[in-house]
Amino acid sequence: MTTPLLEIRNVSQSFPAANGGSVEILHDINLEICEHEVVAIMGPSGCGKSTLLRAIIGLEPPSAGQILYRGAAQTGLNPSTALVFQNFALFPWLTVQENVSVGLSHLSITSDERQERVRRVIADVGLGGSEEAYPKELSGGMKQRVGLARALAVQPEILCMDEPFSALDVLTSETLRNEVIDIYTSKTTPVNTILMVTHSISEGVFMATRLVVMGAHPGIIRAVFENKLPYPRDEHHPDFVALIEKIHGLITQAVFPAGQATGVIAGVDKFPIQTIPAVSLSSAIGLLEVLENEGESDLFALTRHVNIDLHQLLVIVHAAELLRWVTTPGGRVEMTAEGRTFLAASINTRKQQLNATLRTLFVFDLIVQALKQSSRGEVDESAVLSQFAQTFPHEGPQRLLRTVVSWARYAELFKYDSIRRVFHGLQQPAAMHT
Amino acid sequence: MVTDKQSLQTPRAFGWVDLAVAGLLAAFIYAMVTVAHEWTAPLRQVPEIHLEARYLPLYTLFSLSRGIIAYGVSFVFTMVYGYTMARVAGAERVMLPMLDILQSIPVLGFLPGFVLGLVHLFPNQNVGLEIASVLMIFTGQAWNMTFSFYSSLKSVPPDLVAVARLSRMSWWERFIRLDLSFATTGLLWNSMMSMAGGWFFLMVSEAFVLGEHDFRLPGLGSYMSLAIERGDGRSQLLGVSAMLGMIVCVDQLVWRPLVAWSHKFTDEEPANASHSWAWERLRRSRLWRVAAQTWKFITPRPRLLAIAPVTYANVSVTGSAAMIGWRWTKWFLVCAIGAGVLFGVVEYVRLLLTLTSDEWLGLFRSTAATFTRVVVAVSLASLWTIPVGVMIGRHPRCSHAMQPIIQMAASFPAPMIFPVVVGAMMAFGTGLGISSVVLLLLGTQWYILFNVIAGSSSIPRELWEVSRLSRFSWWHRWSQLILPAIFPSLLTGWITAMGGAWNASIVAEYMKFRGQTLSTVGLGSAISEATERGQFHILAAAVGIMAVTVVGFNRLVWRPLSHRAQTRYSLET
Repeated sequence: MTTPLLEIRNVSQSFPAANGGSVEILHDINLEICEHEVVAIMGPSGCGKSTLLRAIIGLEPPSAGQILYRGAAQTGLNPSTALVFQNFALFPWLTVQENVSVGLSHLSITSDERQERVRRVIADVGLGGSEEAYPKELSGGMKQRVGLARALAVQPEILCMDEPFSALDVLTSETLRNEVIDIYTSKTTPVNTILMVTHSISEGVFMATRLVVMGAHPGIIRAVFENKLPYPRDEHHPDFVALIEKIHGLITQAVFPAGQATGVIAGVDKFPIQTIPAVSLSSAIGLLEVLENEGESDLFALTRHVNIDLHQLLVIVHAAELLRWVTTPGGRVEMTAEGRTFLAASINTRKQQLNATLRTLFVFDLIVQALKQSSRGEVDESAVLSQFAQTFPHEGPQRLLRTVVSWARYAELFKYDSIRRVFHGLQQPAAMHT
Repeated sequence: MVTDKQSLQTPRAFGWVDLAVAGLLAAFIYAMVTVAHEWTAPLRQVPEIHLEARYLPLYTLFSLSRGIIAYGVSFVFTMVYGYTMARVAGAERVMLPMLDILQSIPVLGFLPGFVLGLVHLFPNQNVGLEIASVLMIFTGQAWNMTFSFYSSLKSVPPDLVAVARLSRMSWWERFIRLDLSFATTGLLWNSMMSMAGGWFFLMVSEAFVLGEHDFRLPGLGSYMSLAIERGDGRSQLLGVSAMLGMIVCVDQLVWRPLVAWSHKFTDEEPANASHSWAWERLRRSRLWRVAAQTWKFITPRPRLLAIAPVTYANVSVTGSAAMIGWRWTKWFLVCAIGAGVLFGVVEYVRLLLTLTSDEWLGLFRSTAATFTRVVVAVSLASLWTIPVGVMIGRHPRCSHAMQPIIQMAASFPAPMIFPVVVGAMMAFGTGLGISSVVLLLLGTQWYILFNVIAGSSSIPRELWEVSRLSRFSWWHRWSQLILPAIFPSLLTGWITAMGGAWNASIVAEYMKFRGQTLSTVGLGSAISEATERGQFHILAAAVGIMAVTVVGFNRLVWRPLSHRAQTRYSLET
C-alpha cells in the first residue's frame, strides 16, 4: 500500500473578524489525495474552497490540524506545488518571458537550462511569439496561458488552480480546459496530480477524477464523488449527465432537506433563529417571473433555463422560500399563493406584503425590536453587527448587514444612514413629536 | 516607404543621439569635478557673488547639483522611512504622525541646527555649508515622496505577493521587482512635485543670515537674492531666465523620458500616453542598449541573491536565535530613539520657557495675521482656479495641451518674482501686508489648479450628458454635479496649498529689496527675523506654533472633510 500524496488531517482555519472575534472558515477537514488524480473542490461561495487550496500549498498555514506531503508533516510552502490564479496575478511590468521565469530564480539550475525551460513551457501553452509582450497587450485567455506557463515552469508534481477559467469567456475557457487535460494526460510534464477549485459542476465533472463537494458556514466536506469516465470526456454521454444530476441532487437536498416543513407559522412570537442569504430581491422576484412563465419546474431544468450555476440558483430559491414565495417539495420549485399575489400586486402592495413578511424573520425582527426600545429612535450599526456576529459565528456580519439593509429598504421597514452608520425608523425622530 | 526603412535601421546606427549622450556624459564628468572643487574650497563666510552673466551657467550648475544631491538623499530617505513605516509591525503608529509633523515644519526651522552643526563639523571647508544647503533643499522635497511610497506599499495586490512568495523571491528581489516596481508611477509623479518644492526655497537655502554670520553659497539662489537686494533689474531677469531654462531642461531631459518609460509599470494601456521626444530618441540609440544590458547585469541575479530552498526548511530552527537578537536590537533602538526624543522635548520646553509673555503675545498676534492671509490667499486662488480648472479638465485636448505649461509654471519658484510683484504693488501704494497675500497666492494657486483639473477630467461624460438632458440650470450644474465631483481632489489641492502657503509666508512677509528690509506683522516674518537676529528661542517658538497650527488644522478641519469626501463624493459607485 502506498502513502497518499497529500493528507489533510483535521484542518480548521479561522480568521479574525472585524468585531474582534473570529470567523471559522474551515471546520475539521479530512481528505486524502493520491497521485494521478484530478481533484475538483466545489461548493457555494464562502465555503472556504480557496482557503483550503491555499492551506495545502502552504500560503496560509491552517490554524488547527496538519497537512502531510508524502507522509511528512508540511511546514512552509510545498515545493512540489504551483498555483494558477483566478485573476492571473501577472506582474504588469514584466514581459511574458520574465513573468514565466519569475518562479525559477530560486532553483539551482544553470542560466541556459532556465532559458530552455522557459522557452519550452511557453511553446507548450501556445504562447510562442509573444515572449516579449507585456501582459496588458494580451487577451484574457493569453494572460491565463502565461499564468499556466509560470506554474508549469517550476515542474510541479501538483498543479493547483484557483477558479482558473472563471474570469474568461465561455469559448476561451472551453479551450483552456481541454488544453489542461491534454497536459495532464499526455504526461509530457512532471504534473501528475491536479487540484482545482471551481464553482461549476459541469467543469468539475468534465475535468476531475474525483469531486469534493463542500458546504458553507463553516466549510466542511459534504461528499466525495468518483468519476471514472475516460478522457476525453463527452458532455452528452449519459454517464456524464447522470453524474452531474447526482451532484445536483446532493447539493439540492442539503439546502432543502426532504420532509422539512417550509415556511414559518405566523403568530408564534419567537421566530426561528435563521439568517438570510446574500441575494438581491430583484433576483428573487426574477425567479418568480420565470416560474410564472414556465410553471413549476425542477431545479435542474431551471439552471439550464436561467443559465446560472446551481449554487447561485439555490441561494435565490432559498431566499424566495424564506419569503414564502415558493416551496420546494422534492427538488421541485413551486410558487405559493403568496408568491402569486406578490407578483400580481402593484409596487405599493408589494412593499406592504413584504413588510409584513420581513417582520417575521429573525434578523429583521431583531432590528425592529431594538428600534422600538431605543429612546432616540436609532440603533447603531455596531450593535447590530456584534449581535449578528454572536448569533451567526460562521457568517460575515458585514455582508449580512448589507443584505438586510437592501431588503428592508425595498420593504420600507426601516432606514439606514450609511454616513452616520445608524438604523432609524421610517419617521425621522423630529417628525415623531408632531 | 523611406521613413519606415530609416526607423528600422536606426537601432543599429551610431547616430547623433549617441553623440549627444556621450557629450552629456563628458559634461557631467566635468560638472562633477567642478562641484567637487567648490565643495572642498576653503570656507569663506561672505564669498563674492558676481552679477555678470558669464557666471550664471556655473551658478546654475551648482544649484542643479545641490538639487540633485538633495533628491538623492530624499530618495534614500523615502525608501528607508517608507519601507519601515509600511512593513515593520507597529512602526506606522509612531512614524506616520511624525512624518506629518516634519512636513509642517518650515525650512527655516531646520536651518540653525543644520548650519551651526555642520559648520562646526567642517570648520575649514565649504563642505559643511554645502551639506547644510543640500539638507535644507531636502526638507522641501522628501515628505510627499515618502507618503506616496508608503501608500503604494500598503496597496500592493495580495495575489502578486502570493506569487512572490511561491517563487521564493529573496528580500531584495521582492523589493525591486514587486514593491518598488509597483510604487514607481506614484513615486515618479511625486518626485516631479518634490523637485519643484525643493526649488521654492532655493534663495533661502543658498543665502541666509544667521545671527551675525552672513552665509552665502555660489548658486542661482544667492545670485537672485543679491540681484534683488541691489535692485538690479537686468540681473534679476537673467536669473529668472536661467531658472526657467534649467526647469525646462530638467523637464524635457529627465522627467518626460521617465514618465514615458514608466508606462510599463501601469496595468493598462494609458488612453493618452504622454510622449517624450528625448525618450523616443534615447531608447533607439546604441548606448541605451548597452546601458540596459548593464542594468540587467546589476539587477537581481537569481542565483547570486536567492536563498537556497534548503534554508527554508531550517528557518524555524535558526530563526529563533535570530529572532531573539532582532528583538533585543529592536528594543535597544526604541529605547535609544525614545531617550533622544525625550531629551529633545525637555530642551525644547526649556527654550520655550525663556520667552517673555510679551513675546508670546506678539507671536500669537502674528499667527492670527498670517492665518488670515493664508485663508484669504487660498480663497482668492480658488476663486479663479476652480472655474478655469473645471473648464480645462472638461476638454481633454485642452488639458493635454495645457498640462505641460501649467506644470512648468508650477515648478518655477515663485519667490524669485516676488520683488517684481512687490515693486509693482508699491507703485500703487500698497504695503507688504496686502501684497504678501498676492505673493502667497502666486506660490500656492497651482496646487489647487492641478487638482481641480484632475478632478474635473475624471467626471464621466455620461454625467455631463445627464446634466444637459435634464436641463440643469447654471447653479444646479455647479451644486449638483461639478462641486461634489471635484470635491475630493479640490480638498487635496486645498490641503497642499494651505501647507505651502504657511511655509511661503516666511519669504513673503519679509524680504530684502533694493537695499532696504521690508516686513509686515506675521508668523513668517517673525521666523525670518528671529533667524536673522539669531534669536533662537523665538525661532523655536514660532516654528513650533506654525507646525502645531498646520497639523491641528489638518486634523480638525481637513481630516473630517476628507472622510466625508471619500464616503460621499467618491465617483466610484
